[in-house]
Amino acid sequence: MDVVWFLVLSAFIFCIGAAGVIVRRDPLVILLCLELMLNGGNLALIAFARMHGGEAGQIFALIVMVIAACEVTIGLGMIVAMYRNRLRIDVDEMSELRG
Amino acid sequence: MILPLADVPAPEIDYRELSPIMATVGGSIVVLMVGLLRSPFARRTLVPALTAVTLLAAIGLTIWIWEPGDREPIIVRALAMDTLTLGVSILFFVSGLVTIVLSLRSDAPREAGHGEYYSLLLGTITGMVVLAGAENLITLFVGLELLSIPLYVLCATELRRRTSLESGLKYLIIGSVGSATLLYGLALIYGAAGSTQFSGIETAIGERVGLSDPLLLTGIALAATGLAFKASVAPFHQWTPDVYQGAPTPITAFMAVATKAAAFAVFLRLFDSTLGLSQLQWAPALAALATATIVIGNVGAIAQRSLKRLLAWSGVAQAGYLLAGVVVASELGLRATAFYLAVYLLMNAAAFAVVVARERVSEHGDDLASLELLGRTQPWLAWPMTIAMLSLAGFPATAGFIGKFYLIDASVAGDYTWLGIVIVVGSVVSLVYYLRVVAVMWMGRYEVELPGLPRRRVKPVAGWSPEADARAQPEVAAVAIVFAAATIAFGLAPDPLFDAARDVGTALSNLR
Repeated sequence: MDVVWFLVLSAFIFCIGAAGVIVRRDPLVILLCLELMLNGGNLALIAFARMHGGEAGQIFALIVMVIAACEVTIGLGMIVAMYRNRLRIDVDEMSELRG
Repeated sequence: MILPLADVPAPEIDYRELSPIMATVGGSIVVLMVGLLRSPFARRTLVPALTAVTLLAAIGLTIWIWEPGDREPIIVRALAMDTLTLGVSILFFVSGLVTIVLSLRSDAPREAGHGEYYSLLLGTITGMVVLAGAENLITLFVGLELLSIPLYVLCATELRRRTSLESGLKYLIIGSVGSATLLYGLALIYGAAGSTQFSGIETAIGERVGLSDPLLLTGIALAATGLAFKASVAPFHQWTPDVYQGAPTPITAFMAVATKAAAFAVFLRLFDSTLGLSQLQWAPALAALATATIVIGNVGAIAQRSLKRLLAWSGVAQAGYLLAGVVVASELGLRATAFYLAVYLLMNAAAFAVVVARERVSEHGDDLASLELLGRTQPWLAWPMTIAMLSLAGFPATAGFIGKFYLIDASVAGDYTWLGIVIVVGSVVSLVYYLRVVAVMWMGRYEVELPGLPRRRVKPVAGWSPEADARAQPEVAAVAIVFAAATIAFGLAPDPLFDAARDVGTALSNLR
């Protein structure tokens, strides 16, 4: 199979994630969409690793997965902290800082 | 059964050159552990002291391994500890020290836990050093995230203040979008060049890959976008004022200087050195971004009342000036950018120290009104702020003037004369808001109508009076005075900084 198909799919996943970050209002869904963006990048990396041979691309993808997990953990922690402070969990409501 | 582990060839590691990173990682673990002790002395005094010792040790080690010239990258060619990395590392360490001093009386470490706060600070500094030294796409991404993730948490450390949490979450979401975009760009660059090593990419471009290869160009564009998010280059700057205003002020001061230095170090290494051959392709785009950043940053700052927001917008504009040094991809540009980053640290540290000092005692918080008549009541704070503002605007006899001069010189020498003119015009516009701060301090009441901020209630403590409290934070005033004095000193006698910048300029050998 041609590598182009994998690239098209990965670009699709990346764009769906990016669109989700912009459109959705729930921080939890935004975190999911960020994961989609990173995984789009991962798919591209693995497809290229397959094309070029060698292990660098696959190691890169593994490391990205670990980092993505860290990011989501921090994001969830902050959402819990907001929940404890009884703030509304909706990004459109987070407008105390503006101007 | 004994596994045949002896046969595994371990990578050769030059521990001498790795030592600054080992110091900050080790310090981060020790500080976290000491923070668990029960005694208040250990938590409130020992933890910041150990953090400061770690940073001082890291500065010492950095100077010890300082060696001009193109250095062979260490750890299987993943990390280059050359003068570019070491030079910006010293900036990270010094701004870390400033942050420690400014945090001593702040709410953030108390609420988040002293051990955690300072450990995260050392963690993000480690990430910055790794990012600045990255010689490999994987190291670059790991360094960027090691920088970013602790910083997201640090922004949200004032857990009970709503705006702090808001700024943390905003930074997390927008920063992650930037990281994901950068990752996709790096994946495309890897796909085009077939190597994650910077040296491999450099040799592939122009040989196996055409200069206008669509895969490579898309990758470069996406990587530049991702890095522009970190360096707060317009149009990817919108998060900057919100996050700077919401974060605890010592952390804002740290972000303003250190994150910018790290982002520009990687800009210089990845674009000027690795992708240097395709400079004709990416330079016009970056020059356009620089122009937009200078215009948007300076215009955005004019309408600000909050000092933190004003400094954030001014930081956006300064990112535009710095980008000019990257666009020209020459050794002079590299030197000018490094010089300006150092100067930027001096001016911003002085300005933010004054903001911290006033914010704690004034009922106006970080509003411009908190500086009213400061020149008469507290000249020891008004003078550093005046010097910092004049230097940021690029007045002669300050270090900011020489930094800007150097950047304009580099743009003219690199055939981007119009970009030098944009820098000059931007500096002229910036006088509007920098001089307004000076005027409020020395000339009295602030009369211009601007959108107001909610008044902040100041916590009354036993025996509290504004004057007593202002004198009770001598360390903050000391930071302001020391860095303002350095701004003037390096403005009058810039030779030591010139020499350091010249050393940094030798780090990337394949520049024009």
